[in-house]
Formats: sequence, structure tokens, C-alpha cells
Amino acid sequence: MKGYSDESNQRGFAGISAILYVDAKLFIAIITITIIGLVTIYSSSGGELNLVIKQFTRIVIGLVAMVFLAQVHPDNLRLFAPVLYFLTILLLILVLLFGVGHSADRWLDLYFMRFQPSELMKIFVPLMLASYYSDKPLPPNISYIFIAIILVLLPVFLIMKQPDLGTALLIGMSGAIAILLAGMSLKFFFATTFSMAGLLPVLWMNMHQYQKQRVLTFFNPESDPLGSGYHLMQSKIALGSGGFFGKGLFNGTQSKLGFVPEHSTDFIFTAFGEEFGFLGVLILMSLYLFIALRGISISIKATDNFGRILTGTLSLTIFLYVLVNVGMVVGFLPVVGAPLPFMSYGGTSMVTLFATFGMIMSIKSHQRILRK
Amino acid sequence: MKTKARKDSIRYRRKIEEKYSWDRLSDSVGERRSHKKRSVIAIILVIFVFATYLVKLYEVQVSSHDYYSVKSDSNRIKIRPIQATRGIIYDRNGLIIAKNINTYDLIVKKERIKNKEIFYKNLKKLLPITPTAIKNIQNQFKNRRLKDITVLEDITLDEYSKISVDQYILPEIELVNKSRRKYIEPLATSHVVGYLGKVSEYDIESSVIKIHEGMTDIGKLGIERFYQNILSGKPGFEKLETDAQGDVIRVLEKREPHRGKDVYLTLDLELQKHVYSQVKGKEGAVVVMNPKNGDILAFVSFPGYNTNLFTKSISSKKYNELISSPGKPLINRVIAGQYPPGSTIKPFMGLIALEEGIIDPKKLVYCNGSYTLGKHKRPFRCWKKEGHGKANLSFAITQSCDVFFYRVSELTGIDLISENLYKFGFGNKTYIDLYGEKSGLIPDRAWKSKTKQLPWYPGETLNIGIGQGYFLATPMQLTLGTSVLAGDGKTYLPHLLLGSKNKTSGEFSGYKHSENKFEANIEDHDYLDIIQHAMWRVVNEKGVGTASHLGKIEGQEIAGKTGTAQVYNLDKGRTGTKKLQDHALFISYAPFDNPEIVVTVVVENGGSGSGTAAPIAKSIIKYYFKNQKQASIK
Repeated sequence: MKGYSDESNQRGFAGISAILYVDAKLFIAIITITIIGLVTIYSSSGGELNLVIKQFTRIVIGLVAMVFLAQVHPDNLRLFAPVLYFLTILLLILVLLFGVGHSADRWLDLYFMRFQPSELMKIFVPLMLASYYSDKPLPPNISYIFIAIILVLLPVFLIMKQPDLGTALLIGMSGAIAILLAGMSLKFFFATTFSMAGLLPVLWMNMHQYQKQRVLTFFNPESDPLGSGYHLMQSKIALGSGGFFGKGLFNGTQSKLGFVPEHSTDFIFTAFGEEFGFLGVLILMSLYLFIALRGISISIKATDNFGRILTGTLSLTIFLYVLVNVGMVVGFLPVVGAPLPFMSYGGTSMVTLFATFGMIMSIKSHQRILRK
Repeated sequence: MKTKARKDSIRYRRKIEEKYSWDRLSDSVGERRSHKKRSVIAIILVIFVFATYLVKLYEVQVSSHDYYSVKSDSNRIKIRPIQATRGIIYDRNGLIIAKNINTYDLIVKKERIKNKEIFYKNLKKLLPITPTAIKNIQNQFKNRRLKDITVLEDITLDEYSKISVDQYILPEIELVNKSRRKYIEPLATSHVVGYLGKVSEYDIESSVIKIHEGMTDIGKLGIERFYQNILSGKPGFEKLETDAQGDVIRVLEKREPHRGKDVYLTLDLELQKHVYSQVKGKEGAVVVMNPKNGDILAFVSFPGYNTNLFTKSISSKKYNELISSPGKPLINRVIAGQYPPGSTIKPFMGLIALEEGIIDPKKLVYCNGSYTLGKHKRPFRCWKKEGHGKANLSFAITQSCDVFFYRVSELTGIDLISENLYKFGFGNKTYIDLYGEKSGLIPDRAWKSKTKQLPWYPGETLNIGIGQGYFLATPMQLTLGTSVLAGDGKTYLPHLLLGSKNKTSGEFSGYKHSENKFEANIEDHDYLDIIQHAMWRVVNEKGVGTASHLGKIEGQEIAGKTGTAQVYNLDKGRTGTKKLQDHALFISYAPFDNPEIVVTVVVENGGSGSGTAAPIAKSIIKYYFKNQKQASIK
């Protein structure tokens, strides 16, 4: 029961972290994962230092964002949530109108930087729902649930249009988690889910050819070993050839020689697993599990519905991202193009992830302050 | 079990919630309880899914490790064969017949071509390429066993440097150094030496040819085929690490190839060339053999063809030209051309009759120009209408009297004839060291009833007696048979291999005569003397011998026998086309008293043996003795 005692956190490093409103355990776990990510990027890119430096810069920006958000009082987050949410909705509409990108318009060019509004939505949907439910009696009645569903489906629809099916589905799921944590009746949830499943053919009709291909390939990856199934096959070969102890740092032939595509972004787990083996994978997965459980524990201890729903949803969503990414590289799930949290090379995702934990930390640490 | 601090903490929180709750109506305790319940469910779910993932990861990374390790290695490791240098083919005097030259090919790796349309467009821009060449490239695309596409073959470095100026149009193109077989006298030696080609399914199924891993070229015909295992050597290989684009990162392992052994042939290249020069524009075969050891000094089937065309990828147009050419150059007439031997069979028939005691040397037959057999309405004619008068065996051979041999063969009978002809090597392969040999045909009663469902007619025996009818022999068989007549009863297997030499160790291993498969077994040398003398008379008895017009070669006496084989159902004179003329044959050996060479000449549709074939033989014999050299291996 020692871990439950809040006082134990206030010594040593925890003392400094308390002043900064930062949760030491989460912080250490996250930093460990980012360091693993940097090493993997360095190795799989064949020693390209500028990739590592770029990623390091993003981590620093993310850390600043995290520490900053940790200082913000949850009340302010709650009050600003609708503003942030609707502003991002506006940005999503702008992306559809003026967006840039290779195969899909996901990026918004702001002249000084390019970013993906859809990534922001990953935080703002849980934030909006938590804020929405904060002053409602829970469990929510049907009309509250209906409005929440609208609030989730609006960005989901806009992101699907980009088209970015993977992010849209993830955001939809994070919305579902939020509504469930708010206390929606499970019977009602399953009824809704199954009726939504009835809409799948409509979704299929609206999907782009490459999206359909990915889903089809998922069900039969060997059907097209040089096309869409190629990524998955090569990813499994890389992971499998890693074995228990891995090929060793800088020895991952599959990723270094270019057989595994996107080895610094979506398939970074593969590159890591090839060089560090099952042992490394076990440690990494345990770190993610720890972060998720730590988040849920903060959520349980939160003192109001806003904090509970927000931290619970965010922690579970981050873990969901891990499951989707890892599920993709081992062939559990179709290749959807979702980054691995805190590991994958990429800017917006890294900063929003740190921001997420900034908010979780804010919820956690400000409650302790309140109590005094 | 709750500690006091925890209880305090809970009490605190409740107070705070009451104070800060925005909706006084909400049930904060119930909400907390509901949230906790759902969070616990979430934790259980998270741990469950986490465990499922670990099981899957364990399965991929640990359980299937070996499977994926192999796949990973085959991804990155490529084996590239290094071709062994093929042995050089020399003649008996050390002259080069076939060697290897360095050439350059322009190739493109298939995996580097992303869009075929753009590739063709750029290719046309870069090189002047004919539509047939485009078709050839398309075929190479379709052939799944080829990894590279050869765009241009056999170019010089100068040509390449011209192309490389504009190479930016097609950066995928590469220049590769290749070793190519080059035949010095491709036309004169085409049938005996053969040529190289790409390994085919047929070659892989062959039980005689050893195919090593990575071998690309293989002997297809002739000596190149028969001694493929000696000449080819063994390819080496390079184990390369490549990236996903197929570019080489480093060499992991290398094994050097073993060079093939050089082969020395019994052929005399100069003599071979001389023979070929004597038969220009004709169709047929010439063999020159040493009767004392079976060495083949010249082996010419004519017309020849340019074997150097085959070492590149020969165009189908050129190949069709060769196939449909009226001279049928692709047929090896020496061992696969089967001819009725005509009068050249007479010395053999005479020897059989003597040995079987059917006739004695003094036996006389009266020739009045024709011979009547039993109830046959039409008489069997002699070539000399007015007849030869009284003829004994020697005179009958010298004058090639048909009536004498009608009589002799009637007396001997088909059974004894066919049985004894095998003694001279007819009806069987000579087992010369080449593939594709035909065995000719000795007809007998059993053969006829089997193939024609008819009994043997006595008239057919008479035709056999003068080398007409069903009886067929290859020029090689005639040569072997002549060597029996020329020798002292001992015969040797005809062969082309003199020996082989390992270039690196210098070790030479000669032809093994113990592999003799043929024994003529002539019992009575007196009879042989009679036949030999008759053959001497054919060439040397002025005005009597059918080849006596040849005249003497200083110091050397030739013995021989002419033959003119009528093409069956010959439509003489009526249409007058060349196709319907006679085959000219001449068998001979020299010098008469101590034979060094047996010369057989067959000219298809060449008119008479004495008129066409015999002069060619004389020229060859003359050349041989003028330029006689000893076999010397350097």
C-alpha cells in the first residue's frame, strides 16, 4: 500500500517534481522510451545524426509543452476545452480546403511550420468530452450521450475525409472510451456499437482504393508479397530474425538495408525488435503498460469528473495507440499508419503526446495542492 | 485494509468535492464508485491485451525465430556465380581451334526497371534499336529465369564510350565484361567442335553432362558437348550482402572458380582447312583417319556453318535461314549422314565371299553387260553395257564389275552377307567421341519382315551386293571399314581426343586406347592381300582401274575404291535437276604398303565416284604427305 501514499512522492527528485507539478514516475518512464526511440532511429537510419538531432529538438519542445501544461490549473483546461475543440474543428475544415500532403491532405502549412490538426484532435476530443461531462450528473442520460457522440463524430468525419482512416478510428475510439468512463450503460454501449457496425458497408463504400487494399491485405498478407503485404511480411521477418536477444545494436539488417520500410516512423517497433529481440520488446511494452496503469491510477484518485474522465481517457488512448502500432507490425491489425507513442520519428505527434501527459500531470499534482 | 492516512485522504477529497462540485445535485460518491469500477475493468482489459500481445510477439520472435532468420538472410544475401574459364581446344599440333575472348555486354537489371514503357522509350532514345531487338528484349522480360536483360551484345569499349555520353537518359544500364567462346575456323570445324549455348532444361535432364551450380554456358554439340565435363571446370561464387534495392553492400564470402582443362584433338587443323577448301559449294563428308591408332586427322561435314553465331544469342531469323538452307548445314553428315555405299562395298563383299569359301580368288564370272536372275523379267545391268567379259575377283574390283558381284552375292546369300558386314563396323555406331551418331543399316530377312511385313526377295540380295538398296552406311563407318581393309587385321576405335591438359598443374593425360570397343578379326591375311592389291589396281592400273586417271603422287601409292550410289528411283535425265543425281563416293588409303591415312570422301549428288570424289581424296592425300607433321604437344 506504500505506492498509494502520496507523502512518499515528496522526497528527493519527487520533491523537485512536486514543485514543477510533474509526476516523477511517469516522467522517468516517458524519458526512457524517448531515449530508446532516439537510439533506434540512429541505428536504423544507418547513423544519421541529423535525424536524431531533429527528433531530440522535438522532444525538448514536447518537454517544455508538458511542463507548461502541468502548471495550468485543470479548471482552466476545462474552461478552455470548447474553445480549443472548435478552433481545431475549424483547422480541420481548413485542411480539407488548403491542406498539403503526398497522398492525403493532412498537413496545414503555417509558413513557419507544418502540422497536422488531426493530431491535436487526439487530445482535444477527450478534453472536450471531459469538459462536457464535468458539470453533468453521471451516468449521463441519453441526450448527453447523443451530444457527446456528435462531438466525437464531427472531427472523425472531417479526418476521414482527408483521408486518414487510422487517426479517425483512433479518435472515435478515444471518444468511446471517454463516454464509457463517464458511466454510459454497457448495454446501451454495445447496442450502439452493433448498430454502428451495420454502417460498416457504408464506410467501405466511402473508403479509398488504397485503404480498401490495406484492409484486404491484412486478411491475406501473402496474397501480394511485393505490394501492400510487403511491409507486413518484411516487418515480421525483421522481428522474427531478432530472436530472444536481438541482433544487437547497429546489426539490424532488415531495417538498415531498407527491407523494412518506414523504419524510423511507423515501423520503428520493428527496427527496435530486430536489434533488441524479445527481451527488449518485453521491457518496452512493460514501460508502456506502466504508463497506462499509472495514468489510470491517477484517474481513479482524481477528485472530480473532469479529472477522472480526462486522465482515464488519455491514458487508455495512449495505450490504444501502442496496441494499434504494435498490432500493425506483428500482423494483428491492418497497416493503418499510426505512430508508436514517444518512439516514432515525427513532430506533431511527439509534441501532442507530451502535452497529453502534461495534462495528466496537472490533474494529478493540482489535486494534491488543493488538499493543503 | 485502509491506513489512517488513506482514510484521511478520502475524507479530505470528499470535503473538496462537496466544496467544488459544480452540480450540487450530482451523486459524487456514486460517480466515484462507478468510475472506479470501470477503471478496474479497463485495467483488467489492458493487462489481458498486453499479455495477448506478448504471446504473439513471443511466437514471432522466439518460436518462429529460425524460420524468419532464414528469410532475413535470403533477403539480404545473394549468391553470384563466377564463371570458370573454359578449357581451350587445340589441334594435334597445338594450334588453337576454340578459345575465349573478352567482350562487353550492355545489360539492365530487371528489378531496376519500374516502368517498361518509359524504359523502352528511353532505350530507343539512347540506342538505334531494331524492332526485332525490341522483341528479343521483351522475350527476356518474360523469361523468369533471367535476372538481367542483355540490351546489346559484344560491343567494343569504343562503342560503349560513345553510348556512355548519353547514358543519363537511361541510368539503369550497365556494362559487363563477359567471356565468349571464339572459334578460329568456325566453318571448317563446325560439326566436329560444335558450339556453346545457354544451359537449357534438356541439358539439366541429361545424365551424362554434369551441371554445376551457377553454370550459364554449356557445350551443345560436337567436342564442346562430348568433353563438356572436362572443358567446363567448376564455377566459383561470391556471397554478397545487398540492400532492398539489390545494390551490393559488401562481399561476405568468395570461392574462386576452377579452370577447365584444355583439350587436344587428333585433328590436324591445317589439313582440316585444306579439306574444307576442296569441297566448297558441295554437300557431303570427308574423314581422314590414321588406321594404326584411330586418330581422326580431318573430320569435315560440308557445308559448314558459322558456329560463332551461336555463342551470342543467335537471332531466330538467322537460325531459320540455317535450318531451311537447301544444303542442310546443321546436319553432321560424317556420323549422321546415311548413304548407300555403292561400289565401295565391293571389296568388303569380295572378302566375305573369300572368307566364307563361296569363291576362290581364281573364280571367273562372265560379264556380258547384264545378269539374269531366275524368273526376273528385267535383267540386272552392269554399269558397262558391253560387259567385262571373263572377270576374276581382283579384276572385278578394279573394274567395278557389277555382274561379278551379282553372281557372288547370289551365291553368298543375304544371311551370310548381313552377318559378316557387322565385322567391318557397318550396322553399328563406330563409337567415335561425338554424340548424335547414326548406326546405318544392314538389312536382313528379320529386318524386312519387321519393317515392311514382306519376305526377302533374292533380287534384293543382288542389289545389296553392289551397295544399293536398303543398305546404308555413314562416312564414318566406311572409314572404319576401310581401315580394316588397309590394316593388318587390327583395328582401332576412331577418336578425336588426343588428350587433356590441366593448365595450372601442367599435367597431361592422353587418350586411353584400352577403351577399344571394336575388333574386326580378319582370319586369313592372304585373302586380305588380294583385296588390298585389287584396291591398288583401282588407282594404279592405267586404263583399267576406275580411278587410274588420277595419276601418281610422287613416292606415295594410293589404294582405293570408287563408288557411285544411285539415289533410289532415280529419274535420270528426265527432269535434269541436280537433286536427282548420284552420290559420289571414294574410299582410299595411303601409302599402300604401310598405310598412314584412310580417306573417305562422300559428295551428295556429286556425279560419279571416280569423277568427283576420287580427285578430292587425291588432293587431300597429296596435301597430307606434303605437310606431314608429327603430333607434338607443347
